[in-house]
Amino acid sequence: MSSLASGPAQRRRFDINGWLFVAPALTLIAIFMIFPILQSFWMSFQQGRGMNMTFAGYGNLVKLWNDPLFIQALSNTFIFFLIQVPIMLTLALVMAAVLNNPAIRFRGLFRTAIFLPCVTSLVAYSVLFKSMFVTDGIVNSTLETIGLISDPIPWMTDPFWCRTMIIIAITWRWTGYNMIFYLAAMQNIDKSVYEAARIDGVPSIGRFAFLTVPMLKPVILFTTVTSTIGTLQLFDEVANITGGGSAGGAAGPSNSALTLSLYIYNLTFKFMPSFGYAALVSYVIVFLVAILAFIQFYLARESDR
Amino acid sequence: MNFSKTLRRGTLAFAGASLLAIVTAQAAELTVWCWDPNFNVAIMKEAGDRYAKTHPDFKLNVVDFAKVDVEQKLQTGLASGVSDGMPDIVLIEDYGAQKYLQSFPGAFAPLSDKVDYSGFAPYKVQLATLDGKVYSMPFDSGVTGFYYRKDYIEAAGYKPADMQDLTWDKYIEIAKAVEAKTGHKMLALDPNDAGYVRIFMQSAGSWYFDKDGNPNILDNPGLKAALEVEQKILQAGIYKPAAGWADWVGAFTSGDVASVTTGVWITGTVKSGADQKGKWGVAPIPKLDVPGAVAASNLGGSSWYVLSGSKAKDEAIDFLNEIYAKDIDFYQKILVDRGAVGSLLAARTGTAYSSNDEFFGGEPIWQNFSDWLSKVPSVNYGVFTNEVDSAIAAHLPDLAKGTSVDDVLKAVDAQVKSQLQ
Amino acid sequence: MNPMRTLRSAGTYAFLGVMAFLSVFPFLWMAFGATNPTTDIVKGKVGFGDALSANAAAFFTQVNVPVVFWNSLKIAILQTLITLLVSSMAGYGFEIFRSRNKERIYNAILLTLMVPFAALMIPLFMMMGKAGLINTHVAVLLPFVGSAFIIFYFRQNTKSFPHELRDAARVDGLKEWQIFFLIYIPVMRSTYAAAFIIIFMTAWNNYLWPLIVLQSNEMKTITLVISSLGSAYYPDYGVVMVGTVIATVPTLFVFFAMQRQFVEGMIGSVK
Repeated sequence: MSSLASGPAQRRRFDINGWLFVAPALTLIAIFMIFPILQSFWMSFQQGRGMNMTFAGYGNLVKLWNDPLFIQALSNTFIFFLIQVPIMLTLALVMAAVLNNPAIRFRGLFRTAIFLPCVTSLVAYSVLFKSMFVTDGIVNSTLETIGLISDPIPWMTDPFWCRTMIIIAITWRWTGYNMIFYLAAMQNIDKSVYEAARIDGVPSIGRFAFLTVPMLKPVILFTTVTSTIGTLQLFDEVANITGGGSAGGAAGPSNSALTLSLYIYNLTFKFMPSFGYAALVSYVIVFLVAILAFIQFYLARESDR
Repeated sequence: MNFSKTLRRGTLAFAGASLLAIVTAQAAELTVWCWDPNFNVAIMKEAGDRYAKTHPDFKLNVVDFAKVDVEQKLQTGLASGVSDGMPDIVLIEDYGAQKYLQSFPGAFAPLSDKVDYSGFAPYKVQLATLDGKVYSMPFDSGVTGFYYRKDYIEAAGYKPADMQDLTWDKYIEIAKAVEAKTGHKMLALDPNDAGYVRIFMQSAGSWYFDKDGNPNILDNPGLKAALEVEQKILQAGIYKPAAGWADWVGAFTSGDVASVTTGVWITGTVKSGADQKGKWGVAPIPKLDVPGAVAASNLGGSSWYVLSGSKAKDEAIDFLNEIYAKDIDFYQKILVDRGAVGSLLAARTGTAYSSNDEFFGGEPIWQNFSDWLSKVPSVNYGVFTNEVDSAIAAHLPDLAKGTSVDDVLKAVDAQVKSQLQ
Repeated sequence: MNPMRTLRSAGTYAFLGVMAFLSVFPFLWMAFGATNPTTDIVKGKVGFGDALSANAAAFFTQVNVPVVFWNSLKIAILQTLITLLVSSMAGYGFEIFRSRNKERIYNAILLTLMVPFAALMIPLFMMMGKAGLINTHVAVLLPFVGSAFIIFYFRQNTKSFPHELRDAARVDGLKEWQIFFLIYIPVMRSTYAAAFIIIFMTAWNNYLWPLIVLQSNEMKTITLVISSLGSAYYPDYGVVMVGTVIATVPTLFVFFAMQRQFVEGMIGSVK
């Protein structure tokens, strides 16, 4: 990479150029991200109601350790993460591969259709999913007509089915979004490699597994890390579909859809405002994502070399 | 281009000339934050128009956001201490009143020196009182009524007269008869929402907290009775499960269920089914079987608050006082146009309140609601209502499954205690 | 061979068909909603109605559509273009000009991606208050244009940017900024197209921060307006649906305009 930057003068030129490229973004991030992050980090050591806050040291950590709602939110979040992210990314990758095949007709139409869900507004999306999944709604009646079930599924009253519904909803909304990244990255793959493999008699499944996937690895890593972040910060769906954001509502039956982000929201806006404690829960998310992202980077690197 | 430049210069000159006048008149524009364009926003605009008739310089700027959004904006603004861009008047739901007053001391202006509160429903005044000062201009009431389909209950062999003085046991009995005869469930209920528990509980003069605001979960006859009724309803199979607001509204506006028990603000929605004219009746809510329980309760409702950081604080208070505390005719207008029942008791003397409603078969429903309004028990909503509410809501599935009320109360108590540390 | 192949392609189309239907169906429902009165929508009616003009008329009288639409468009386009420039430069810079210090900073930037925005809202609001930017559109987009997410995205994609092109350009005496603007951007246009769609969509639908920082009716975006319509005690869902359909059009348009870039391969198309 730096073969041209061998001499000290070139080395300096190389460095200056590098910093110039990253400087504008760095300045903005320092002001609008790092600074508020440090401030909220300071806040996470404080306790109190609303603006009557006092320094509490590790008081919030003690509270966290004994907080059953936090434990529940944490385990719910992990359930969503472990089940939903693999399903969504596999589906997105497969669809991208299928839609990248020039032999498929109406590709533009299919691409657009599958991308549609993530542009639908949250209001429409939540009203819609609620109405589709009510006990006598279209989902249950369709399943009954096909003969898959004999009794309606209690989507709104059973914790397991409520989580299933949320997973369906997130997958529906974000699969097309992730597909876009894969489709774009597939354009950067040299077509001649495929041709060679095809002539050598490698079947399409093999070409997908041994050519496409390895070459897309940087982007797969990207989508995995960002989906991990997205799921650990899951909020929109659980707040709007289960009514967890409303004043008198639980987040799904027995709080089965209470996620960490929804809990932070509740601590900040719905409950007696405890900004310090809410900030601490945010840093729990940061900590978890950082560990998971580290593992993901590590795995990607490991098989690389 | 040239034209607009000239225009701008002209405006500047004009502004310069009238600067003196502006300074003397001190006519600042008042900004109000509230939710619901067809209800609060429209009503506030009407109030502004009325006040402007006697105060020609008065200007009101009503900004509408969703309810949760008003709360988010208010909390962010107050927490960050940025007074820039904050409104002069804000609407706050009654359940959250104490939470705001106590978390942000000094953020709201006390109104008790200027406003005569003796004319308002006592429970509305009580809930915005802190350390002997009242901070709100009481606005719409959530006084509850039991709205039912006359045709359905008649098909089940009951008469409207039978709907008066009900107990919840009798209500469940009627519900079963209605379903047997008409195939319609009695009510729609969101199994993850504790709204009904709040109605039951307040009708017994109880809340999750005692008079001092301390959690009162385990030894609270009103709360216990409320959960027992909730459990009976959940287990009797007389309800249609509703998933959220739209589904719940759809259940009774479409004629799918036979009744709805909720705040008076639903009246306009019930009446939106014009084809059901004459088929609906309104009765007092059934009574809870505990000493001191009445057939009146409250769900929701909100009040106006003046921010003490407002530059036009005095004007804002005067405006609210002139219209909301004194203008009986204003209350007639918002009742007719918007179906809003205020909490100024004197409003009932007006013409709109004494008229009968043809949609409800000519019943004097507004006089009835005014009667019930004066009977709503005062309770202390405290500062942690949302916390306990969520805990109760999370345990509703247990109630439905048959867990005893005492066990549920213990679980709720444990959860609340750990949260309130 | 042939029947086998037909069967397989039939399977592919069936899979795509089902996926496309499932994806479009809720959208179709939204379109149904826009044409039905609210009383039918809450009943869960499936099918077109005849209330479109009534709903649309109500939406256009209740909402100052040109103003809110223009506000949204202005913010989304500015945010997209500035983010693309600033953040793609940084992604490129981090990948091409690697150094130990930059790696450290890059890791710190990735870490900022993981902080939930809700935790930063109050400090950010204080900052905007001090800067006197409350209730301005600048305040809406400023915190997002240095985007860790887009930097990450561009860095990952830069890994597939052929070195030979850079080396050749250097030998030809091009300056670093010329290589970036004249070679990198055209070569990576499918990456830029995807990023354009994603940033535009995020900016257009952004909700929480504009809500907090915008205070007056004249400054609001269309997303805020729809949310306040949907939160009435008795929401007029027909009107809300008209609003959502209108609000979806620009993103769809951007998608249509950009997706051409996914079809054309890049390798070989650059001299």
